[in-house]
Amino acid sequence: MTDLLAIKDLSYKRNMHTILTDLSLTLPHNAIIGLLGANGAGKTTLMRLIAGSATEFHGEIRLNDETAASIRKSMVSFSEQLAGLNPGMKLNQIADFYDRVYPDFVRADFDKLAQQLELDLQKRLNQLSKGNQRKFTIAITFARHVQLYLLDEPFNGIDSMNRKKIIASIIQWKPEMATILISDHHVTDIANLLDQVIVVQHQTVVAQEKADTIREKHNQSIEDYYESFYEGENEHD
Amino acid sequence: MEFDDKVPIYYQIKQYIYKEIIVNRLKPGAKLPAVRQLAVKLTVNVNTVQRALSELVNEGILKPQRGKGNFVTTDISVLVDLRRRVVEGQLAMVYDRLAELQITPDEMIQYLTNYIDQRKEQSHD
Repeated sequence: MTDLLAIKDLSYKRNMHTILTDLSLTLPHNAIIGLLGANGAGKTTLMRLIAGSATEFHGEIRLNDETAASIRKSMVSFSEQLAGLNPGMKLNQIADFYDRVYPDFVRADFDKLAQQLELDLQKRLNQLSKGNQRKFTIAITFARHVQLYLLDEPFNGIDSMNRKKIIASIIQWKPEMATILISDHHVTDIANLLDQVIVVQHQTVVAQEKADTIREKHNQSIEDYYESFYEGENEHD
Repeated sequence: MEFDDKVPIYYQIKQYIYKEIIVNRLKPGAKLPAVRQLAVKLTVNVNTVQRALSELVNEGILKPQRGKGNFVTTDISVLVDLRRRVVEGQLAMVYDRLAELQITPDEMIQYLTNYIDQRKEQSHD
């Protein structure tokens, strides 16, 4: 089976500032993959490029044999897509909006997810606690049926109870052949969930390895493996 | 379930299922939960559970039934062998560590017998 996503020699600049350089990677079908890197390493930018919301790049991004940004946009469910919404909207209004805009959005699945995550759909986006915002993001992202999900720091700033609920939803709702790319700078949260990890450093991908290989061959925890890339450079990140 | 992050998760899931079978919480012929249900319960990836289960199928400990799921084997000789294998695995670790301390096999038996007697007495207190 061919790869779901293939990125070749990707370079990206914004405001004369280089963010990614000569980055190549491939993602298989049916996998949960951790995208690891320090804050500012370019993880979010990489996701925006994959999702087609950033476009002025050099190189090639091929998702299921499609390279056009507008087509890729329709094939990816990206947690950041919520950021552009009017914060005064009620959650069920946002779900209605998604239902109209995305043909792959399944309203019944959203309702089930929202119930499971104990969300009150009469509330407005700006009335939600951080934890409920994260849960709502998960519900709306997974109610779309696509082959690639991009979750940007889905656990940032939330307590362990909410983290557990979100992780359970991810396991339960991932479509069988779909792939999930999760960025995180605190890998312990998701170590048990990952098939592979990708490490982003110095504006590019410095490693991509299977979780079982890290544990079996290198005899390391995923956290130790990740931290080994930062040894000796504590001062300059 | 708590996992050791230095050991492959599929391997730890296998050990967990071995234990459930040995202590008879999973009885011969019992049906295992669906793969996704197990994944949610153990908070791991579906692929990881799948890998653990397919190895257990290869070892003959689980019997898949098309469209119905996985069942613990009813072949008692396989289960007796499993129990022996798991116990020996534990003993091997103790043996190797004591051998590193240059304890002879005869001394090991002596120490182990004494230790078991001590534990028995403690549990009577």
